Formats: sequence, structure tokens, C-alpha cells
Amino acid sequence: MGVVHGEEMVLNIGPQHPATHGVLRLQVRTDGEVVSQITPYMGYLHRCFEKHCENVTYEQVIPFTDRCDYLSSMSMNFGYVVAMERLMDIKVNDRVEHIRVIMAELQRIASHLLCTGVFGLDLGAFTPFLWALRDRERILDLFELTCGARLLYNYMWVGGLSHDIPVGFVESTFEFLDYFEPKVDELENILAHNSILIERSADIGVLPKNVAISYGVTGPNLRASGVHWDLRKNDPYSIYDKFDFDVPIGQGLKGSIGDCWDRFYVRIIEIRESIKIIRQALAAMPKDGDVHQSLPKKLRPPKGSIYARTETPRGDLGYYIESDGSPIPYRLKMRSPAFTALSVIDEIGSGWLLSDVLAILGSLDIVLGEIDR
Amino acid sequence: MIEDREKIIAELVNKGLDGDMDAVNSHEDRMIRAKVKAMIMKVKRGNVERPPIPIPSSPISSSEPTVEENIVVEELDVKDAYQKVIKLLQEKFPKAIVENNKNKFIQINPEEWFDIAVYLKSEESLLFDSLQCQTGMDLGEDILESRYNLHSMEHDHYIEIRISVSRSNPQIPSVEQIWRIADWFERETYDMFGIEYTGHRDLRRILLPDDWEGWPLRKDYQEQETYHGIMVPKMKEGWE
Repeated sequence: MGVVHGEEMVLNIGPQHPATHGVLRLQVRTDGEVVSQITPYMGYLHRCFEKHCENVTYEQVIPFTDRCDYLSSMSMNFGYVVAMERLMDIKVNDRVEHIRVIMAELQRIASHLLCTGVFGLDLGAFTPFLWALRDRERILDLFELTCGARLLYNYMWVGGLSHDIPVGFVESTFEFLDYFEPKVDELENILAHNSILIERSADIGVLPKNVAISYGVTGPNLRASGVHWDLRKNDPYSIYDKFDFDVPIGQGLKGSIGDCWDRFYVRIIEIRESIKIIRQALAAMPKDGDVHQSLPKKLRPPKGSIYARTETPRGDLGYYIESDGSPIPYRLKMRSPAFTALSVIDEIGSGWLLSDVLAILGSLDIVLGEIDR
Repeated sequence: MIEDREKIIAELVNKGLDGDMDAVNSHEDRMIRAKVKAMIMKVKRGNVERPPIPIPSSPISSSEPTVEENIVVEELDVKDAYQKVIKLLQEKFPKAIVENNKNKFIQINPEEWFDIAVYLKSEESLLFDSLQCQTGMDLGEDILESRYNLHSMEHDHYIEIRISVSRSNPQIPSVEQIWRIADWFERETYDMFGIEYTGHRDLRRILLPDDWEGWPLRKDYQEQETYHGIMVPKMKEGWE
């Protein structure tokens, strides 16, 4: 990079900028094109979700969780109900568990599709973005079929689901998977092995293993750094231990382990693994079972606290719930995966060119609704 | 010393509740007598749970962990991690542990927290290399609490650490240089609860604007009347 000390300049990227994936301001100190420091400023979407939760009952928290990570609302619901069910010691029947897993995995595909498509868009490839949104649309149609909503579902309830799946859902999902599987290959071909994308992302923004762990980076970003860590395998919740799937990790195929290309490619492989899980779950789902069977009349958890984690498309989502025995949470803290992922941006982003910083930010897959809460 | 006093109080409360008020009245320490009577009243009113009868004349490390130690090394689950941590901490930092609740959490003093954190991360058999979650808590009655959920990638075990401070002087040593994510977690807790993390290199608000007044997640938070000259609307009753 040389040791020329030109005049430094402070530049604000955002808050209103498409490359920041939401309302985020990155204050970068640049020397020519080289970025020497990145300071993120967030909070533009801050609604104080946790204060709201202290004013509503436990059931009413679920719609708020939807609105935190609006690109994977099902997974946010899932994390909350898993935490609550552990706190209250509720067991739900097999049908409910299967439906939940199917929904969470469909959501993972939808979220990864958006991430990979937008990553291409950040680097100047427009077509894959449209392809990805076209296929994501079909998943949203499936969700609409199930619960009437396309983005914010309020579908999983503590002890069950809001509705059973409609007639024809299983067939439609199988049909979608048959249609979608070749499309994943198409998406991979146009993006992952595209020489422009490789130039722009391989060896850029390398996130070493120990740095990732120290910064609390989780999910696909951590796996891309070569850590074999997936809560669905390592600390199975729900019925994930019944399914056969692999956990992809970054191998540095085009550069070094933990670069932007790895972070992007891990997500493509995860889409395939999710398809595997959905196929198994659809086949094994029991035909009967009431989804309202174990819904408690009133949610009144016993005194105590719990910290429960689940694997969302963005990483470990943790809920810390402190209950004082009343129907209103005493304190509810969400440990959001994108918050920790964003905190590493200065560590891996400084020293690169301005255009690379946007590639790094895109590869981290952040959602501002969940960072600001 | 504090542990001893608490034990005496718990014992006397149990005696008093069983009808033996003479034992309470004949205790020589006036403070303990007062505390015991207050607690008995609270238990009778149902505000407080009855304290467990303390095991006589034993520090918290009984012979139990040492017996199980051989098994501990083989299978590591949540229970064992707690026993191991408590045992090691008692050897290394005898004054640190205030309370340990059966496999739920370990409550420690704020003073030595930084050294303990370094030890927890570097000790070969613990290796808590990831800070999963850090949360603040307003427990009322002048107590603020900072809670840390630690996890070890290497050994795959978890513990929860709790540190209480008073509302008038909420200072806890920062662990931002040990687990880097604590940087933002502590800033968030500072933002919401006003707990000051001493030694933090960049302690400022993270989600709220810099000129915000008050600590929103404290239970006694009052909204400000105006913000930059704009009236802050009052929250409506209920949700529509």
C-alpha cells in the first residue's frame, strides 16, 4: 500500500445508501481510495424493542420479533418460542415441530437468496439479483398460502402455531423444490465462478478464526472462517437431530479461508442443505396432530431466567428472558447475530479500498432492523 | 464474612418461622436480629421465598466436587462446567464468589472481575473464548446487574456470571479487551442502563443519540418532555 501520507478525508456512507442494506451510517476515514478506519453509527431504526416487551404480555412479543429481522421473521419467531417453551417446559407434538422446521428452512433459503443476490448487486451483477428475487417470491407465496402474510408472519406461537398448513401445501412445496434445485446451480454458475466476482471478493476482507470468535461472529460468517459450528448440529433444538444434513465450512477455494467469496459461497451450499432438510421433513411429517394442542390458556412462566439460542440465517439468535412470574416479561434481551457481525467491520474492513468495504459489508449479510432493534 | 452472616440469618429465619422466636431474640447482634425479623415478616406476607436451611459449618466447596472430579473431565455438560468453575475460582480468587445457584449462575464481586475474566478465557480446562450475550438488568431496590453468558467453543460448555452494583455507583470493570464483542455489548448496556464500564476505551451511546437524557431500560425511567424543542408525545394507554 506504500507509506504515502496524503491528506486524509472523512466520508459518510449512508444513512440513506443502497449499499448499507438499510439505514446505517459508516463513517470512513480515507486516504485517497484506501480506508484507514470505519466507524459504524446505527440506531436510526431503534424502537427500543426491549422496552416495548416490558409493557406487553408474552404472546404480544411475537409480532415484535417479526419486525426485528424482517428478512427472516420465521426464524425470529422460532427462537422466541423455543426459549419460551424451555422456560415453561412445554412439549409440542411432532407435527408442529415438523412444520416449524420446514418453515424455518424455507425462510433460510429465502434469506440466503436475498443475501447472495444483493451481494452480486453490490459488486455490479444485476441479473442474479433478479433471479434470486424471482425464486424468493415463490417461497413468499408459500408463506402467504400458510398464514396470509408475506413478510411478517406471527406464525409460530408458544406451544403451537397460529394455523395448520393448508390443503395442498406439501404438494406445492415439493413442486417448488423440484423447480428450485436446478435454479440453485444456475445461480451458483453465474455468480460463484464468475471471474469478476472472484476478483472482487476472493482474498478480500479475510476474517480469521480467532478474531471471528472473539467478536462473537456466528452463523455462515463464522463457518466461512473454517469453524465447524452450527447450533442445529452442536446444540440441537426442536427436532434437528433427526435430519441428515451437512454443515458447510469455508475452504478458501478461490483465495484464503474466511474471505468474502467464502462467506458468499457457504450460503449457496447452505441453500442446498436446507432443501435436503425440507425434503426429509415433508416426508416424515405426521398426517394428524392438532397444532393448538399444547397452547397454554395463559402464558405465565415460572420465576427464573433463561438464555436460549437458535440458528437463524444470520447466526446465533439468543433470547435472554427474565420472568418474575407475571404474564409480562420482566426483562427480555435479544442477542442479535447481525449486531455482532457488524462489530467486526472495522477490524476486517480497514486497509482495503472503498469499493472493497462495500463488498465486505455485503458479505456479512446484516439486517438493520435487528441491529437497532 | 458476608456469607457467614447470611447463613446465620437464614438459619434464624427458619427457626423463627418454625415457632422458635426465642432463638432469634437471644442473638447478640442487633443488626442480625433486625434483619431476621424483617425477613420473617416478608416471608409471611409472601414477598420473599423462605431461605433454604444452610448446611452447618461448611464453606461452599464441599467434598462433592472433588469426588466427581474424575468424571467431570470425561463428560462435559452444563452442570460440570459450573462445578469446575466454582472450584477453580475458589482456589484462585477466594473472595470473589458471592453466591452460586445450583447450575444456574455464579454471582461475583465486581472488584476482581477483570482478572477473573482473563483467567476464565485463558485457563486450559475452561477456555471460555466466546461471550455469547451480555445483558443489563434493573432489579429494583437500588440494584443494577450485569450478566454475562459465556461459552467455550473448545469444550462446549456454558456458564452465566452475574455482577451486582448499586444504582448510586454503577461501576464494573470492562472486559472489552478480553472479548472484543464486549465493546459493543457494554456500550449497549451503558446506553440502556447507565452502568459504567471502567477501562472501556470508547464508552459512548450506541443506539440512542449522544444527547439523549436518562437510561431507558431502567424501571424508573421518565421520558423527557421535549427533544430538541419538539414535544415528545405521551404513550397511549394500551395497544390498539
